[in-house]
Amino acid sequence: MVARSAGFTLIETIIALVLSSIVIMLVSTTFLVQTQYYSAQTLRAQAHDNARTATERMAGELRSVMDEGFVVAGRRTLTVRSPVRLFAVCDVTSTNVYVHNEGGETGLYNAEIAGVAWLNQSTGDWDYRTATWAYMDGTTGTPAPSCAVSGADTTWATGEFHRVRRLGLLYGTFPIEGDILMLYRETTFKIQTSVLEPGTLGLFRGTYGQPLVELATGMDSTAQFQYRTGGTTYADTITSANLSSIDAVRFVADARKRAESGGQRDVTYGWSVNMVLRNVP
Amino acid sequence: MNRADRVDTGRRGGFVLALVVMMLFAISVAAATGYLVVNSEFDMARGADEGAEALAVARAGLHRFVAEQIGVVGDSVSYAVGGGVAMITTRKIASQDSITDLYYVRSEATVSSPFTPSSPARRVVGAYAWHHRRPLRHWAAAMITATAVYAQNSGGLIDGNDQNSALDCPGGNATDITGAIARTTTGQQSGGVLAGSPTGKQWSGGFAQMYDSVGLRWDVLSDPTFPVDFEGTPPSWASLPSDSFPVSRVNGYFNPGSSWNGRGVLIVNGELDAGSSWSWNGIVLAGSVDDIHEGTIRGMLIGGLDGTNPYSTVYWRGSIRYYSCYVYEANESLSYLELLSDTEFEIF
Repeated sequence: MVARSAGFTLIETIIALVLSSIVIMLVSTTFLVQTQYYSAQTLRAQAHDNARTATERMAGELRSVMDEGFVVAGRRTLTVRSPVRLFAVCDVTSTNVYVHNEGGETGLYNAEIAGVAWLNQSTGDWDYRTATWAYMDGTTGTPAPSCAVSGADTTWATGEFHRVRRLGLLYGTFPIEGDILMLYRETTFKIQTSVLEPGTLGLFRGTYGQPLVELATGMDSTAQFQYRTGGTTYADTITSANLSSIDAVRFVADARKRAESGGQRDVTYGWSVNMVLRNVP
Repeated sequence: MNRADRVDTGRRGGFVLALVVMMLFAISVAAATGYLVVNSEFDMARGADEGAEALAVARAGLHRFVAEQIGVVGDSVSYAVGGGVAMITTRKIASQDSITDLYYVRSEATVSSPFTPSSPARRVVGAYAWHHRRPLRHWAAAMITATAVYAQNSGGLIDGNDQNSALDCPGGNATDITGAIARTTTGQQSGGVLAGSPTGKQWSGGFAQMYDSVGLRWDVLSDPTFPVDFEGTPPSWASLPSDSFPVSRVNGYFNPGSSWNGRGVLIVNGELDAGSSWSWNGIVLAGSVDDIHEGTIRGMLIGGLDGTNPYSTVYWRGSIRYYSCYVYEANESLSYLELLSDTEFEIF
């Protein structure tokens, strides 16, 4: 009697198998749902990440764009001149122009410098000239002592004073003490077919004379630039005559992540950001 | 309980335990997945928010410093702005002329949260600014936007001739200035004295012409929220260096007596109606002045800055004499910064 009750009958075994199958199916389904959920959330996070990365990088450069800083303002192409560094002229002699350079040359990323601009303090306009830093960099002279004679406080900051050369050749005249110069980069942002993630658009960035590099992937087909020229409305394209009137840029950075399996749908992320240019009146 | 029942119970318990373990595992996987996704999103959003806030704090700190700056430019100051701190440092870059210097103003902001106390978000902005030293122009000993100003017959004295010599201070023995400026008439009654070079001028262009000529930021200086050295109470002179010329302000009607004797810049954001025992060395700026005025000013008075003076004729019964040294020192306290437009940039 004890031996019989300890064993399994066929029916008991079948029932156990059926119940076990049902349980395993339930558990498997749970795992499957979790996996799909994880994949979808990962895609969503990547889409968010792409959109944010693209906009934050762009915003950092666009916020500082000065007056007259737009070169091209199209629906999918944007070229701007933004400051790498601002200089204030602290001393001028017949052959030398000495400037204050926040952070000194060691902190200057000169590979991106496309030229120099000179601020007209009466009109607020910048006069841009193309030149490399190697062309303008004056490594000799006595910048700190000369600027100190002109009234500059050079204490603990002699490395922040520098000589700039060939401004006379670039402009035909020399600046005076108190004039403001800007070393600028010329950056092109372009929305075009992604190389890294085929089937989507990517945001590409390139500095003057350099090839475009993909900065962010996964842009949807609706991604574009828009521009405000006063007022509250944004337009897709601005004519060259109105480039100087741009006071804000909107980057419609809608993102799309393609589904990795047939059971999923593409994940889209509607994202746009308005970047007001703080140095443009 | 017999033996068979105990065996049966043990077998069911093992099967349920396996199920529970599997379900707990599934739930754990789901929870971990959800946590990772939410946490990474949260980190990204928080980082972006803190970065944006740090930039806003840096800009706010820079603009606040420039707006509130008066007198000598300090080397550094920090402000608590929003959820962060902005540290402002300045450096003089050049002297354009004797009254205009160029400064570099740098604002470094940090914003930290309880989640990232050791790695706060940091942003730096810089800008150039002109420092306008001694901005007030020396036009007249008494400049009032009234129709007429008279040195009254009972000993009234308005004198634009410099009372200081070159030995008194570096700017002493300055060029003599006009005695009084009014809109249409200046003069002296019998027994009163109006002196200067010339004794009087009429600026019929009215308030706007007179206001625009002096180079004052009256809208800023008269704003009760604009910080000055002393507000509403006279400075404690015993605790101040003898060469200090602070900025004091009184809001509304002001009838000073001897308790307000002092020096520096006195701003009256209302009507000035001084008593005979009052004396001031330096610059007095008033929204309006009473029609019959007493007291002694060694320096300069500019009255009626709120608009055309409400009293069309002002009779000066007291004494105003131009002391260039007092004016020079007080004027230094009015120095201010003016941000150069188009020069604010973010330092990466």
